[in-house]
Amino acid sequence: MKSVLQHNTIQRFFLSSLTFILLLTTQLSAQDGDAKRGKGLFNANCAACHKLDKKLIGPALEGISERRSREWLIAWTKDNAALRASGDADAIAIFEEYNKMPMMAYPQLSDQDIDDIFAYTDNKPEAKPEVGVAIATSAAALGIDSLQVVKGKNIFNANCAACHKLDKKLIGPALGKMIDKRSEDWLKAWIKDNAALRASGDADAIAIFDEYNGSPMTAFPQLSDADIEAIIAYTSHADILSAKTATVASADEGLAKPPKSTAWMTYVVLFVLLLIALWIYFVSKNEFLKLVMTIALLLGAGYYGYLGMMSIGIDQGYKPIQPIAFSHKIHAGDNKIDCQYCHSSAKHSKTSGIPSANVCMNCHKSISEYNGPVTDEKSKAFYDGEIQKIYDAVGWDKDKLVYKENYEQKPIQWVRIHNLPDFAYYNHSQHVTVAGLKCQTCHGPVEEMEEVEQFAPLTMSWCLECHRKTELKVESNEYYAKIHEELSKKYGVEKVTVAQMGGLECGKCHY
Amino acid sequence: MASNKKYWKSVEELNENSSIVAKLRQNEFVEDLPADQFLGDKETLESSATSRRDFLKYVGFSTAAASLAACEGPVIKSIPYVVKPDDVTPGVADFYATSIANGEDFANILVKVREGRPIKIEPNKLAKGSGNTNARVQASVLSLYDNNRLKGPKANGKAIAWDAFDKEITAELNKLKASGEAIVFLTSTTASPSTNKIIQDFTALYGNVEQVVYDAVSESGALDAFEAIYGERALPDYDLSKADVIVSIDADFLADWQGGGFEVGYAKGRVPNHGKMSRHVQFESNMSLTGANADKRYMVKPSEQTQVLLNIYNAVTGNGTAKTTSVDAGLQKVVKQLKAAGSKAVVITGLKDKNAQLVALAINKAIQSEAVNVASPKYIRSGSDAKVSQLLANMKAGKVGALFIYDTNPAYTLNGFAEALKNVNLSIAFSMNEDETASVSKYVATIPHYLESWGDMSVKKGHYGLVQPTINPLFDTRQFQDTILKWIGSSQSYYDYVKAYWNTSILKGKSWNQALHDGIAVNASNAEVTTNEVNIAGAASALASSIKESALELSLYTKVSLGNGQMANNPWLQELPDPITRTTWDNYLLVSRVDAEANGLKNWTVSDGALNGDKVNVTVNGVTVKDVPVYIQPGQAKGSVGLALGYGRSKGINDNMSIGVNAYPFFQNFNTNQAVSIEKVEGVHEFACVQLHHTIMGREAEITKETTLADFVSKPKEEWNAKAHVSQDHQLVGIEKISLWEKFDDTIGTKFNLAIDLATCTGCATCIIACHAENNVAVVGKHEIRVSRDMHWLRIDRYYTSDMTVEKGKEEGIYGSAGFFDAQEHPSDDPEVTFQLVMCQHCDHAPCETVCPVAATSHGRQGQNQMAYNRCIGTRYCANNCPYKVRRFNWFKYFDNNEFDFNMNNDLGKMVLNPDVVVRSRGVMEKCSMCIQMTQATILKAKKEGRPVKDGEFQTACSNACSTGAIVFGDINDSESKITDAKEDDRTFHLLEFVGTRPNVFYQLDVRNTNEA
Repeated sequence: MKSVLQHNTIQRFFLSSLTFILLLTTQLSAQDGDAKRGKGLFNANCAACHKLDKKLIGPALEGISERRSREWLIAWTKDNAALRASGDADAIAIFEEYNKMPMMAYPQLSDQDIDDIFAYTDNKPEAKPEVGVAIATSAAALGIDSLQVVKGKNIFNANCAACHKLDKKLIGPALGKMIDKRSEDWLKAWIKDNAALRASGDADAIAIFDEYNGSPMTAFPQLSDADIEAIIAYTSHADILSAKTATVASADEGLAKPPKSTAWMTYVVLFVLLLIALWIYFVSKNEFLKLVMTIALLLGAGYYGYLGMMSIGIDQGYKPIQPIAFSHKIHAGDNKIDCQYCHSSAKHSKTSGIPSANVCMNCHKSISEYNGPVTDEKSKAFYDGEIQKIYDAVGWDKDKLVYKENYEQKPIQWVRIHNLPDFAYYNHSQHVTVAGLKCQTCHGPVEEMEEVEQFAPLTMSWCLECHRKTELKVESNEYYAKIHEELSKKYGVEKVTVAQMGGLECGKCHY
Repeated sequence: MASNKKYWKSVEELNENSSIVAKLRQNEFVEDLPADQFLGDKETLESSATSRRDFLKYVGFSTAAASLAACEGPVIKSIPYVVKPDDVTPGVADFYATSIANGEDFANILVKVREGRPIKIEPNKLAKGSGNTNARVQASVLSLYDNNRLKGPKANGKAIAWDAFDKEITAELNKLKASGEAIVFLTSTTASPSTNKIIQDFTALYGNVEQVVYDAVSESGALDAFEAIYGERALPDYDLSKADVIVSIDADFLADWQGGGFEVGYAKGRVPNHGKMSRHVQFESNMSLTGANADKRYMVKPSEQTQVLLNIYNAVTGNGTAKTTSVDAGLQKVVKQLKAAGSKAVVITGLKDKNAQLVALAINKAIQSEAVNVASPKYIRSGSDAKVSQLLANMKAGKVGALFIYDTNPAYTLNGFAEALKNVNLSIAFSMNEDETASVSKYVATIPHYLESWGDMSVKKGHYGLVQPTINPLFDTRQFQDTILKWIGSSQSYYDYVKAYWNTSILKGKSWNQALHDGIAVNASNAEVTTNEVNIAGAASALASSIKESALELSLYTKVSLGNGQMANNPWLQELPDPITRTTWDNYLLVSRVDAEANGLKNWTVSDGALNGDKVNVTVNGVTVKDVPVYIQPGQAKGSVGLALGYGRSKGINDNMSIGVNAYPFFQNFNTNQAVSIEKVEGVHEFACVQLHHTIMGREAEITKETTLADFVSKPKEEWNAKAHVSQDHQLVGIEKISLWEKFDDTIGTKFNLAIDLATCTGCATCIIACHAENNVAVVGKHEIRVSRDMHWLRIDRYYTSDMTVEKGKEEGIYGSAGFFDAQEHPSDDPEVTFQLVMCQHCDHAPCETVCPVAATSHGRQGQNQMAYNRCIGTRYCANNCPYKVRRFNWFKYFDNNEFDFNMNNDLGKMVLNPDVVVRSRGVMEKCSMCIQMTQATILKAKKEGRPVKDGEFQTACSNACSTGAIVFGDINDSESKITDAKEDDRTFHLLEFVGTRPNVFYQLDVRNTNEA
C-alpha cells in the first residue's frame, strides 16, 4: 500500500491554496475574461485553424477584439453562417476572403467562454520561440507551402490515420514520403477508387492488394485533387510540423513544477507548542497553568484519538501504485475518452468493470507510442514502456501488428482502489443508468488525475447523506410513474428523494 | 372439525410427561451458552493461573493489536479478463438452457452463470412437463465443484496423458477385433439419441459389440411389460391431472417412481375446483412422500400389495382370483370408486415385477384410463435386468473381452459385479470420480460434469433436449462420446456430431441456434400405437403364484435427497432432511412400533432434543449388513421394514459423506422387496434429526390447518377456516382489529407476499436446495444438526395427525384421559401426514424487530423483514422472540474452517457461491430474506427499461423452483396479480394468526378428499 499523505498536511495545503486562488480570482474578475482559461479553450477549439500571430486556415486572431466588437465576435463564433445570412458585410467579406470555406459553429461556447478566449488573444503571448515563424521560415527555405502541409495533416488524420501511419505499417502500408514511390496521378487514382484502378489491370495496384491479403482499401471519391495534393505534401514534409510539438512541449514543462510545500510551518508550530508544554511542566512553578495544560492535553488527545479511531477503515485518498502507470488525465482528460467507453459495464451491471486488455487494444493497436508532453520523471520511453505492458499482456507484436500465436496471455493485476465491504451491495447501473449520475459525483475529477485515488470516503453516512438530499430521476421512467405520484402526495413534496423512496432501508444495500 | 385434530411432530410429543418436549417448547436454544463451565465453579476460578491482572493485560494487548491490525487495509487485486468474451458482463448473470441426463434424473433446465461460473439451476419453463427440477437436479450444480473429482485419465491407478491413453486402448481394441472377443458397453440410461448412434458407429467398426443398459434402481419390470404390449422399450406417461381417482400400490410417484415428474399433473387435481378434486388412495408399506400426501393410506406389507393389485384386477375385469387381504374393507370402497370414475381413474404400481406391471396396464386399459399416455412414452429408463444378469454370467465365464462402463457405478450397486470384473481383461470406467467402479477398473477415462458437456436427450417420444456446456472443463477430462469418436478414428468432435445429428434427424431444417437457445425441440409424432396381444390372465396367475409371504419383509426405497447414491458426495443433499423422517446424514431401518416392541428396539430423545436409536443386524438371503440404526416410523406397515438405497458409499467420496449403510447387497434379483430377518445388537446410534427442532411455542392446534372436501364444500368458511379472535372490552373481535403497534402505510409501491398452498405442496424439498444454492446457506454437518444448529432458511415441518379427534374423544368420554390415544391403538400406528413449509413470515408487526438492541433487523416498506448481518451482535433475542422459530444463528464460521470440510472450505466448492449474497460469519443471526437480492434485481431491471414490473416477474428461489406452483410470490398491491387472487382465497390463513404478527407469508389450507363413495 502506498503511503498516503497526512490528512492535516493536505488540508492545510488545500486551505492555503484556496485562499490564494480566491485572491487571484477577485483580482482577475476585474478584467473581461480569464486569459488562462481562454488559452485552454483556444487550444481545444480554435488552434486547429487559427494562430495568434499568423494566418493559418483562418485569420490570425491576436488583438482581434480591437478590430471587431464583442457582440460581433460572439455572434460570429457561435454561428457564423447565421451572421452571414443576416447580411453582415464584415462576415461575408471574411467568407469571401477565405475562399468560401465556412468556419465551424461553436454554439456550445458560452459568452463567458468567448470572453475568456478573446482575453487570451488580446494578451501578448509570452515570449517563447515563435513556432509558427520557425515553421514558415524553414518551410520557405525548402520551398514548401506550410499551409498545404497543415491542411494535409488535417485531411490525413480525418481520413487515413485509422489505417495508416507515416513511419510504420499499420493496417495499410506506411505513407511517409509516398510520392517517392508512386506518381501523383497514380496516387490520386488509387485514393479515389482503388478498385477501379485494380480492375484496369494496374500491376502496382494489384500487387499491393495481394500483399495485404486482399483486404481492399476504402475508396475516397469525396477527396478533391487539391486535398490529395495536400495529403501528399503532408506525408512528404510532416517533419516540419513536429518541430512545433517539441517546442510547445518544452514550453509547457515550466508549468508542471510542483508548488512549494507548506508542511514545515506545521512542524514549527508543533515544535513551539512542545517547548511551551515542556516549560510549563519542568520550569514553570505555576500550578494552575499545569492543570490547564493537563486538561488541554487530555482533551486534545481525546479529540485526536477519536478522529483517529473514526478514520479506521476509511481509505479516502488511497492511491496505490498500479501495475501500469495508466493516466486517466491523458485518456479521459486530454483525449476526452468517455468514462463508459472503457468502464462499459457501469451502465449494465453492479460493477463498473475494469476494462479488459482487449478494450485497450481497440485504440492501442494503432497507438504504440506516446507523443504527448513529457516530464523529467515520465519520459516518452517511460510511457511507451507502459503501453508495451498491454502488449505483453495480450501478446501483440507491435512491429508486425499481429497477435502472437500460442502466446500465454497474462492478465493485468490492477490494484482495487474502491473497496466496499462484502456486506454492502452497491450497483453501478442503478446510479449510472437509472439515476443518471455522473461518474465524477462519487469518483471525483478522475479526468484530472494522473493516478486515480479514492475521492469519496465511501462510508455509510456519505451514502445516506446523498440519498437523503437527492431527488429521484423519474422523468420518462414508467417504473416510477405510479409510485412517485403516490409518494409525492404522501410526503407533500413535488419530487421525492431517494430516502423517501426507501433508500435508507437497511435491506436495500445489506443482504 | 379439522383444527381439533391432535398434531405432533415426533412420537416423543405423545409422551405427556416428556420434559424434553416441554423444554423445547419454551426455549429456542436447548443448550445454554457454556458459561457455567468457566464462571460457575469458584474453585477452578481461584486455582486458575490467570489472575485478574493478567486477564486485563491480555484484554488490553488484544484490543491494541486488533486496532493496529485494523489500520492497515489489505491490498485487493482486481483482475479483468485479457480478452473479455462478448456475452459476459461482469456482475450480470447469463442463463443457458441445457439438460441434465445422468441416468437417474432427466430435466430441461436453465443454468445461471456468473462470470463463467454456473451457480444455480432453474427450471426451463419452456419445456412443459420435463422442465421441472427436483432436489437432486437443483443440487447437481454443486457436484460440478466436487473436490473429489478426478483431474485426468488414469491407467492402472496412475495418471496418464490422453494421447498415451488412446494409443494403449486402440492397440487393445484392434487385438480384440482380431480375436473377435466381445466388447460390452455397460451404461446407465443415456436417453441420448446421438450417443446411441455413436455406439452403433463403434459397433460397425469393431463387430462384436453389445450395449447393456443398467439402471441402478431398475424399472425393468415396467419396461418389459410395456414392451410386451406396445412393442417399444419405454415407460408409459401418466397425466394425473386427468385422473379423479388415483390408486397407487407402492408407487412413490411424487418422488422417484419411474423417474418422477408426475407431481405437476397430480397437484392440478388437488385444489378443489367447483367442489371437485381428485381422490388419492395409496397402498404401501413404508411411509413414502406419496403416501404422506394421499387422502387415504393403507398400510400393506409388500407381499400383500401384489394381492391387492390382483384383487383390483379381479374386481375390474372379472379375471384372476381374488383372495382376502387385511385391507379388504377399504379395498372394496376403492374398487367401487375406481369403477365409478371409469376412464377418469388410474391404477399405478411400484412393484418391480413384470407381471404386476402387465396387470396394472391391463387394469388401466380395461377402465380406458385417460391418464395413461402410451402414444408418447418416456425413455428415461431403459435398463434390462435380464441382459445385466446375462452380462454378469458372461463376465464370470470370461466371455467378455472389454467392458466400457459409462455413467454408472455397478461395483457399488450391482451384487457380484466387482468379482465378475476380475475376469475381464480390459475394463474402462468412464467416470467423474474414482468411485467404487473406477477404482477396480484398469483404466479410468475421466469424463466432465454435465455442465461442462455437450449432448442431447429424448425424455419422451418426440421431445428432445440439448445439453450444452456452461463452463470450460475444469479438469483434463474428455466426454465419453468424444473418446469413442476418437477410438473409431473420427476427426469429428462430439459437438459437431451432435449438431450434424440434430440437423439431419431432429431439426430437419429448423434452426439449430433456436434449439440451443430453447434447450428443447419438439417433433409431434402421429404414429399409431400398435398393441400386441399379451396373455394377461397368465401373467396374473403367475403373479399370484409368485407371492411369498414372510414374517418380516424389507422394502428398499430411495430418498428424494440421495436417490441411487451417485451424488452422495454432495453436502447439500446429505444435509437435506428427509421429508418424512426429517433425518439428515443417514439411512436407517424403518420399523413399525409393533415390530420394534416385539424386537425390543427403541428410539429415545436425549436431553438436548437429539434422537438416539438402537442398532440391528439385517440379513437377507444370507447377506448380512451389520449395525443398521433403527428408526421407528409411524405408519410403517406391521411386518415390514424399510431401508434407503444410496448410502454407504466408500470410494471417491469425502470421509464425512461416506455415511450410512449400503443397502444394495439386499437389492437381489433387482427386487426391492425381500424377506428379511433382524437381530438387535449392542450400541446406540445417534441420529441427526431435525424433527423436534424449532418447535413452535407449544401451540398444539392452530399451527397448521386442513379440512375435508365435504366440509369445504358444504360448510361455511368460518367453520373450517376460523379466523383468530381476541377479547376486547369483553367482546370477541377479529385479531386484525387489534394491534400493539401503529399500522404503517403499506399501500404505496410494491408489497411482497408469499403464498404457500398446502394442498399442492407435496413436501418434496426442492425449495430447500434452491434456497441453499441461492442464499449461500452453510452446510453444518451431522453433529451440528444433531445439536439443533441447522442453518436451513426454510424447513418443511411434517406433522402427524391421528384419526382420533377431540370430538371423537369427547363422544367416547376419553378425551383428556391418558387413554385418549391408547383407546384403540397407538396413534402413531396409522397417522395422516401434513407438510408445512415454514420460512421467515416477514411479519408486518414483527416481534423480532422490537427486541433487537442494535436495530439489526428492521422492516422495509416492501414487506420484507430485513436483516443487516454486519450490524448484528448476536444477542439472539430475535430468535427467542420469534414465534415461528425461523431464525438461524451462526455458531461458527462455516467457511475457511477445517472443522466444516464442506463446499465452503475449498476453492473449488466456493465457486458455487452466489456473489450477490453475503456469506455470513460467526456470531450473527440469519434468516430468509424473501430473496431480496432477486426482488431488487427485478426492480432494477424494470427501472432500467423504464417500465412497471409485470406480474410473475417477481420470484424467490423457492417459488421459482416449485414445480407444482404451491409457492406463489408477488406484489399484493398489484390488484391483477396471482398473489392477490391467492390472498382472497377462502382457504387462506396466516400461521399463528392469533399472535397478531400480520405476516406477509400466508398459507392456503390443505383439503383432504375423504369421500369414500
